[in-house]
Amino acid sequence: MDFFSAMEVSASGLAAERTRMNVAASNLANAQTTQTAEGGPYKRKSVVLQSVELTGTEKTTDGQAVSGVKVQQIAADNAAPRMEYDPGHPQANAQGYVAYPNVNPVEEMVDMITASRAYEAGVTAMSTAVNMAQSALGIGK
Amino acid sequence: MADFGTIDQLGSALTFHRERHAVLAGNIANLDTPGYKPMDLERKDGGELVTTFQDGGAQQGPDGNAVTLERELAKIDANRTRYAANSELVTRQLAMLRYAAGDGT
Repeated sequence: MDFFSAMEVSASGLAAERTRMNVAASNLANAQTTQTAEGGPYKRKSVVLQSVELTGTEKTTDGQAVSGVKVQQIAADNAAPRMEYDPGHPQANAQGYVAYPNVNPVEEMVDMITASRAYEAGVTAMSTAVNMAQSALGIGK
Repeated sequence: MADFGTIDQLGSALTFHRERHAVLAGNIANLDTPGYKPMDLERKDGGELVTTFQDGGAQQGPDGNAVTLERELAKIDANRTRYAANSELVTRQLAMLRYAAGDGT
């Protein structure tokens, strides 16, 4: 095992948190989208994370693999759309209601903050690995 | 040789702390993975026996994830300090050997 294994693990975490951030941004951007390619209003997306043994990273002395993380899938939230009364809207149904996405901006903001903090923690872990490597390079000076 | 025995021991401590960092970094990476339990690495019998074990999990979130960010960051920081201390000790051991091997200047 080398320092690059630890950095690869941290990098997998950073990539996962970045994906969460992108998905939250996409949800916020589409909070009012009533028309999508597959028909109907935009459906909220959420990231499903899964811990994985990273290929290419070495194992610990006792033969255990270290676990990184990967985005298993980006799943659509099938909760019912938000119905708003707006008979003048081109997408209003016979009763005058328009189906808006099942996106709650407050939830998305919370998700963004969580992802951002988790990203910071990952950066800390990675810079610690760099710091350790530097103190190893200092040996013999 | 006896003089290098200390350096070898310090070297294996450095290896242990480096591996432990990778394990702890994995816990940080899995901060939001449902059902993930934090892992840790420990060292027994004077560094002869290294084992991975599941650590914590008492406080488990609704998604089954048992990682506590503060706890993991504290461990990472303590581990880094130990690593730095060990590498400093290696440096000083080598300096002593160099002094002994030299002509005393």
